[in-house]
Amino acid sequence: MKFNLLLAAGLLAGSSLISASQAQDQINLTWQMWGDENDTALWQSLADLVTEEYPNITVTPQISGWTDYWTRLPVLASSGQIADLVAMQSMRMPSFYSVLEPLDPYFESDGFDTSVFESSIIAGLGHDGTQYALPYDVGPWMVYYNRDKFAEAGLGDPALDWTFDDFKAAANALTEGENYGYAVQAFDFVAGPVALGAEYFDDGNNFAVTNPGYSEAVGKFVDLVAVDHASPVFASGTGAITGSGRFASGNAAMYIDGPWVLLNTKDSVDFEIGVAPLPRGEGESRFITAGSGWGISATSQNKEAAYKALQVLTGPKAAEILASAGRALPGRLAEQSYWYDVAAQDVHRTHEVLAYMFDHSTPFRLNEYWNEFENLITQYMPLALNGDSTTDAVLTDIQNQLPF
Amino acid sequence: MTAIEDTAAPAPLIRSRHRSRLDRREGRAAFFFLLPGLIGMVLFLIVPIIASVVLSFTNWKLLGTPEFVGISNYVRLFTADPQFWPVVRNTLFFTAEYLVLNIVISLGLAVWISSLKMGQRWFRVIFFLPTFTPGIAVAIVWMLIFSPGGFFDYVMGALSVQVPSMLTDQTLAMQAVIIVSIWAGVGYNTVLFNAALDMVPQSYLEAARIDGATAWDRFWKIRLPLISPTLFFGTVMTAITSLQVFDQIYVMTRGGPGNATSTLGYAIYQRGFQNFQMGYASTIAWVMFAMIMALTAVQFWLQRKWVHYDN
Repeated sequence: MKFNLLLAAGLLAGSSLISASQAQDQINLTWQMWGDENDTALWQSLADLVTEEYPNITVTPQISGWTDYWTRLPVLASSGQIADLVAMQSMRMPSFYSVLEPLDPYFESDGFDTSVFESSIIAGLGHDGTQYALPYDVGPWMVYYNRDKFAEAGLGDPALDWTFDDFKAAANALTEGENYGYAVQAFDFVAGPVALGAEYFDDGNNFAVTNPGYSEAVGKFVDLVAVDHASPVFASGTGAITGSGRFASGNAAMYIDGPWVLLNTKDSVDFEIGVAPLPRGEGESRFITAGSGWGISATSQNKEAAYKALQVLTGPKAAEILASAGRALPGRLAEQSYWYDVAAQDVHRTHEVLAYMFDHSTPFRLNEYWNEFENLITQYMPLALNGDSTTDAVLTDIQNQLPF
Repeated sequence: MTAIEDTAAPAPLIRSRHRSRLDRREGRAAFFFLLPGLIGMVLFLIVPIIASVVLSFTNWKLLGTPEFVGISNYVRLFTADPQFWPVVRNTLFFTAEYLVLNIVISLGLAVWISSLKMGQRWFRVIFFLPTFTPGIAVAIVWMLIFSPGGFFDYVMGALSVQVPSMLTDQTLAMQAVIIVSIWAGVGYNTVLFNAALDMVPQSYLEAARIDGATAWDRFWKIRLPLISPTLFFGTVMTAITSLQVFDQIYVMTRGGPGNATSTLGYAIYQRGFQNFQMGYASTIAWVMFAMIMALTAVQFWLQRKWVHYDN
């Protein structure tokens, strides 16, 4: 009896030691990400992939809305509550380098090769030769067009290297009364001028938006609205979202956005859509790309585990899941085909257009004041579009407020 | 007699000591009951206020360590920031127009409701309903109504009225914000003033009627003076909230077009949370605080001339 008791006590102690040791190895990571309720299951399925690969690591997504995310992130970072894994958009990177752990030492430790990703987004998530995040998606801004309306107007599909004059001619031809050929949005005054060959920075990477080349290129897009009336004016409060609504309702035949909206756009229209590169200027086509990825918080207590999780979250299986759901054109080149098979299915020439655009991509030049510049564009461009001010005056106003 | 006095004399002393002990015990108990509230107030009110003062003298960018920069944020605000004075002008313009419209409309509605024989409760509820609705939701719906090609433009077009699109016009954009603010905010003062009007003794009004006072006389010389303390409260609170206007601006215009609708409340958000200039945003917040204090002080000073208290 005594022996049995001793044996039971020993087993109990042993099992508690084992479970204590397991508990010590168990690592719980938090993962800050944006999204809506529909995305929750998708992000959770990616988090589960990490646990499948590393049973002692669990990843808990903390999802917030897009706008909230960018308000919360700096507040959480400054109060030491930032998650282990942090979602980051390439355009906002310059404000957050200090929040993220440089990944290069980790790459050196396991020989990780970043060439499996699209080079433009790898550059977009790094700075001065240091990589701060790995991408999950990538894409250039491109022209979405209503193929049915193009056909009705006797217009063929735009050429890959179509010029601004071709674009303007199509916009004018497709405009009739309150039905517009094009719906301008705030970001068009960034992606559009760059495609026309203009620069908004000087050689020192400081904003110089009053330079003649940029001013002229912006003026071309402004004239489409203010002079040709081929596009409606957007309001400063809705600058980033009106184009998609007008396009979906058939009120505008063209608008500019990235591949990240392709699946939703395709599902929300009752006509055939096509995609085309942004129009070029006098010179060669050139396009900026953006995308998002995940980095490791510089203050994380579990960086090694976070790096393992990061590799899974940006790995082939995760990219396949995201691409197959149509959620993102993967930053991983090998898995992009899944996205083309799902999101881009039945959308005319998507593969060809994106391949052309990636071949002609140019670095997206950013600095820490980028966010302010984008907000000022949204706030001030309507003045030029409705004829209250000139393009030059608006750009001077914007320049005067940078880098405040 | 002496014996009675001798024996009676210590009684008040004992009661006094007993009461004093009781008071101290009650005081301690009260202190412990109030302690959570006190801690909350210190942590979430006093400390942030002090922190905000300190931050206004730093260049804190939210990420990173703040550095003391003296009064340079204040100097920059008043002398170098091209947006500051237009923003102050916009804020005062919004406050003046919104305050006058809100008080006049809400008082008019309150008088109208109190004159109704039936359905007073229903109308109070109807006008108070927007006050329940979250400001952001209200602003989103109105933004869609006023946006180019939206419902408002459709109605104007159907009526063949040539009006520029409200949110893209520099003058009309602020008017759109004021319309939305009035719609959302007028109900609170309406209910407040209506309750005050109902408290006016009917005997005063009956006596005035018998003496031949007209309806306007009864309103101007009896009802209005008697509700003036409530009117004063409503005016002060409305002025304070209108100087802090943010939700409608953030959703509907983002300060635009240009800086036509940019106000101090929005500027604080923009500098602090979009541009990560938390020190500078704190400076603007203190300027806004000073403006609110000054306006409130003026209102309190002016109240002597038009507010009538019973005492």
